[in-house]
Parts: sequence; structure tokens; C-alpha cells
Amino acid sequence: MSELDHIALQTLNLKIGYKKDDQVRVLFEPLSLTLTKGELVCFMGSNGIGKTTLIKTLAGIHPPISGSITRNFPAAIVLTDKVSGNLMTVRDLVTYGRYPYLNWWLTLTDQDHHLIETAIKKVHLESIANKHLSQLSDGQLQMAMIAKALAQDTNILLLDEPTAHLDLNNRVEIMNLLRSLARETGKTILVATHELDLALQTADKIWLATQHKKIVEGIPEDLVLDGTFDNEFQLKGFDLKTGKVKHTPYRKTLIQLEGSGPEFLWTKNALERNGYEVGPSKTQVTVTFKEGYPEYILSLSGAEVKFESLKDLLIRLKA
Amino acid sequence: MKQNSARLAIFILTIALGILFLLNISMGSVSISLPEVLKALFSETGTSSEILWQFRLPKAITCVLAGSALACGGLMMQTLFRNPMAGPDVLGLTSGSSLLVAILLLAGRYGSFITFVQSPWSVALAASLGGAMVFVIIISIAKYVRDNTALLIVGLMISAATSSVVSVLQFTSQADDLQTFMIWMLGSVGSTNWSELVVLTITISMGLGISMSMIKALNGMLLGDSYAQNLAINIKRARTWIVIATGMMVGVVTAFCGPIAFVGLAVPHLVRLIIPVSNHKILLPAVMLGGAILLLICDVIAQLPGSTQVLPLNAITSMIGAPVVIWMVIKAKRISV
Repeated sequence: MSELDHIALQTLNLKIGYKKDDQVRVLFEPLSLTLTKGELVCFMGSNGIGKTTLIKTLAGIHPPISGSITRNFPAAIVLTDKVSGNLMTVRDLVTYGRYPYLNWWLTLTDQDHHLIETAIKKVHLESIANKHLSQLSDGQLQMAMIAKALAQDTNILLLDEPTAHLDLNNRVEIMNLLRSLARETGKTILVATHELDLALQTADKIWLATQHKKIVEGIPEDLVLDGTFDNEFQLKGFDLKTGKVKHTPYRKTLIQLEGSGPEFLWTKNALERNGYEVGPSKTQVTVTFKEGYPEYILSLSGAEVKFESLKDLLIRLKA
Repeated sequence: MKQNSARLAIFILTIALGILFLLNISMGSVSISLPEVLKALFSETGTSSEILWQFRLPKAITCVLAGSALACGGLMMQTLFRNPMAGPDVLGLTSGSSLLVAILLLAGRYGSFITFVQSPWSVALAASLGGAMVFVIIISIAKYVRDNTALLIVGLMISAATSSVVSVLQFTSQADDLQTFMIWMLGSVGSTNWSELVVLTITISMGLGISMSMIKALNGMLLGDSYAQNLAINIKRARTWIVIATGMMVGVVTAFCGPIAFVGLAVPHLVRLIIPVSNHKILLPAVMLGGAILLLICDVIAQLPGSTQVLPLNAITSMIGAPVVIWMVIKAKRISV
């Protein structure tokens, strides 16, 4: 296979934006971007920078100002647009995905039924397939919209903020679903999102819209380490390189920490969150296990005290 | 709701329509029993036969046609504007039709093309154009006004403006014209003759046919323009056809029966109450049947069976329609498309 065979979508000197009367508002410098088969790309950037417009332009529902888009496959979209029809069921919504293939009388073939049910199963909505959209939670509604896009049976999926307004659990579920779809079905998926932490952990590639009207392309780790994200987001108190919120060691106390596993990491978190600095010191906390349960041993000027919870440990430390 | 139970509901509505149709033609100032009705329908002579063929059948057929046309137009407008309060009378389509009919009649009086004016076809054409014109105006305003409530206010204003022009025309017209006009404004399905009925039947059948061919686009409109476009639905073309069909149907009904209120607004909601679906493949035929049924019922009430008095149809449709809409809003806390 040649390099070209991997390309799902490509833009060349694409200018996007709005034309009104004689005025043209271009959102980005000419874009030459590529989406290859089976990759999950997270498209990040601040609000109002033009993510939705780019998604719509790539989908072919918003006209480009100039330049070209080569779409080697049809694309299905998931937008933030509100859907009316409160009496619409989940299955009705997913059925919409088959519309491009249906006649005017909307006759469904066995193949259509099969694809609709498969899409519903994929997002785990079988139990509520006959529920009205007005009865769904935000997360379920978003899943139903994704199922609609899946029923469209396209090789490209373009999603605009699919995780907005969702709680962490639903956000992770959706990103994981998209991740596995890209891997298992070879779909090319572009997700516009604000979820920096999730994007860094799931995306194959990041498109980062910058304040200078450019879109920087790269794999997440490179963009973190070369400071692109820091420049762009002007992160306030979040250390991207460690993936944690920055803490000031205001207690000016060093504590040496020993141990392993998640308990070690969370003990460190607890200490730093409370203003301690972790480093070589005579005051030492050791994380050990006793019959499967963690035990925190504090060695303070020769004496050893054992604690069963971090809460008790912190109370003792602060005393 | 399963496809089958929806089919059953449509079947029951069809049966109900048939029964009501027979009931409607048997009731009136002179009550004709059902066996007599059936006998009279197939005989040429006799008083009953004359009453049926000259008055009651045209009236009942007009009810069926007008009811389904208005309800179908109402549903399509609610879907197109994604606004539960949209309807041909609410957004001023009926007023637009009235205006052009009034202008045509007035032009007929002062102009020399009286024969042209008197043809039911030209009246139908004028009324359809009036309705479609207002529809186009509302759609173009809707592009700038995204707010549902604002759109309704614009509709009310257009309605008020056209009605005022009609009033001016009335004011300047002669006394006998005025009376005709006032009676027309009260709404009536009883004044259509067979030649007008032909125009009504042809125009409304075309309108309903176009509507049925739009089910895919109408469903698509529920998702909004962007999704519809992504699903290869040509919304722009569909919009044009919906304007033509609705303008045509509302226009002819308004021309021959007067501005009948509430049917277009209330029937889609009433039908959704019985058949809770959003799919226009089921909803559209059900709403057509529902509109016909409602207008037949209203007409029976307006006839005050057993008495020689006849109430204005518009009063009855509003009397039924208004409480229904209020009750629904209260019951559901909100209404939606």
C-alpha cells in the first residue's frame, strides 16, 4: 500500500470562515491537514476559535472560502446542535443514520435493521432503545447521537465536543469508545474537545488551534514536552509535564516517602496537597502492606507510629 | 411506540373518520337516519337525496378536505420552524390568503375581468399565493430571528397587518359585499358547491401528495439543517415544496371556507397525544385523518342537530382548540414538536 492509500481526508490550503456580503472572515491561515485511516485525532483550542466551523467544513456542510478538501470516504457527524422531537426514541434517532441510503418512503431493509441494532449495541443503549430522547440523561443522549453516526456506516467520524457537559465517567466512556472504534473498525475519528487530560491519554494525534490562527499538528507527548500546550493554554497552576496541579510547599517541611504502587502515589498527593515537600529528610513515611491493607508508618525522630488511613497520618503530621 | 401499534392507531382513525362522515351527513336541521342516508345516496330523487347531494355531502367532503389540509399544513409548519406553536392561522398564512382574496374580489368589482374573478380556480390561485407569500416572508425572517417566541410575534404582527388591510378593504366596500365578507370571516364549510369542491379536491390532493413525499425531509428537519445535510437531505428544496404545498392547501381552504382557526395548531398536538411518535411517516397520515375528524365533529356541533340554527364554525373550532392547547400545556408543563 502506498502512502496515499492511508489518507482518509486531506485539505490543501484550505481557508475556512464566513462570507457575508463583501466581508470575509477567515478563521485560520490556509490549512493543509491530513487525517489517516484508523487514527483518533483530538482537535483542541479555546472557545470560539473555529473548531465547529472546521468540523462542519470538513464534513461538507459549510462551504470553504478557498482551497480544497479531499474526502476519500463519506463522513458522519456528531454536533452540539439541539435535536427537536421529544417523542423521538433512541432507535428512531439511530435510524436517521440510514437515511442517506433510504428511499423517500424510508423503507428499511434487513441490512438497515442490522446496522441500526449493531450501532445501538456498540454504545450499550439496548435497554433504553425505545425510550424517548426527552427521558435520556445528557450522557445517554450523546451516546445515542454517536450511535446515529455509527449507523451511517462511514469511515470518517467528525465529532464536535461530544463530551461537553458530561461528568468524568461519561467523558471517559465516550473517549474510550472512540478510541476502540478507531482501533477495531479502522475508522478515522476527529474529535473537537476541551478535555486536555483525556485527549493527552487517548489521542493518536493532536490538532492544536493556536492564537496565531494556525493549527499545530503533533502527537500528544511531543506537544507537551516542547511546551506548545503551555504556550497555548497559559496554564494557571497546572503542570502539564507531571499532569498535576502545581502545589506550593508552604509548610517548608521535607518528608521522605518510601513505598510503591497507587498507595505511594496517593500518599505523595496527600502530602503535597497539604503543603509538604517530598524529598530526602529525617522525617520519613513508609507505605507498607499488612494482610493486603496499606499501612502508613511515620518515623519521626526515631519513633515509629503506624496509621491505617492517610487522614490519621495527616492529623498526626500537622499536630 | 412500535410500528404495528401505530398502524393500528391509523386504522382506528380511518374507521372513526368513516363513522363520523356518515354521522355528519345524517345530522342537521332535518335528521336523516343512517339506513335512509345509505338509501338516499344511491337514489336520484326524493327530499333526503336532494338534501344529501346538494348540501350535506359537499359540506362533509369539504370538512374532510379542509380539516386534513389545515392539520397537515400545521404539522409541516411546526416541524419546519421547529416550533410547537406554529400554525397557518398563528403565523398569518390565513390572513395572507384572506388579503389576496379580498383584493381579488374588490378588483373584480371595479375591474372588467369579472368572469375571471368568479372562477373558483382564480380565487384558489390568489389565496394560495397569499398564503405562500406570507410563508416565504416568515421563513426569510426566521433566518435572522432564531428565537421561537420572536418568530411567533412576527407572525402575529404580519397577521395583524394583513388583517388591517382587509379591514380597510371592507370599510371601503359596499354593504352587501361587507355582509358576505363578514359571513366568510366566520368560517363555513357549508357554502361550497360542486365546482368549488372539484377545485378543493384537486388542490388539496396535490398538497397532501406533496406533503407525503416530504416525510424524509420533514423527519430530517427535526434534527436541524446541519444533520439533515449530512444525511443527504436537501432541506432547501424540501422547504420550497413545503411552502408550495402548505400555501396551496391553506389558501384554498381559506378561500372557500374562510379563515378556520386552531385546527392547524391543535390537531398535530392532539394526534401526538394519541400516537406519541415523531416519525412523519406515521404522524402525517394520522394528522390528516385527525384534522378531518375534528372538523367533522366541529361541524356537527355547529349545526346544532335538531335545530334550524347554525353556529359559526370558527367559534366551534376555537372553543374546542383553545382549551385543548391550554390543557396540554398545563398537563405536559411544556409542549414540543
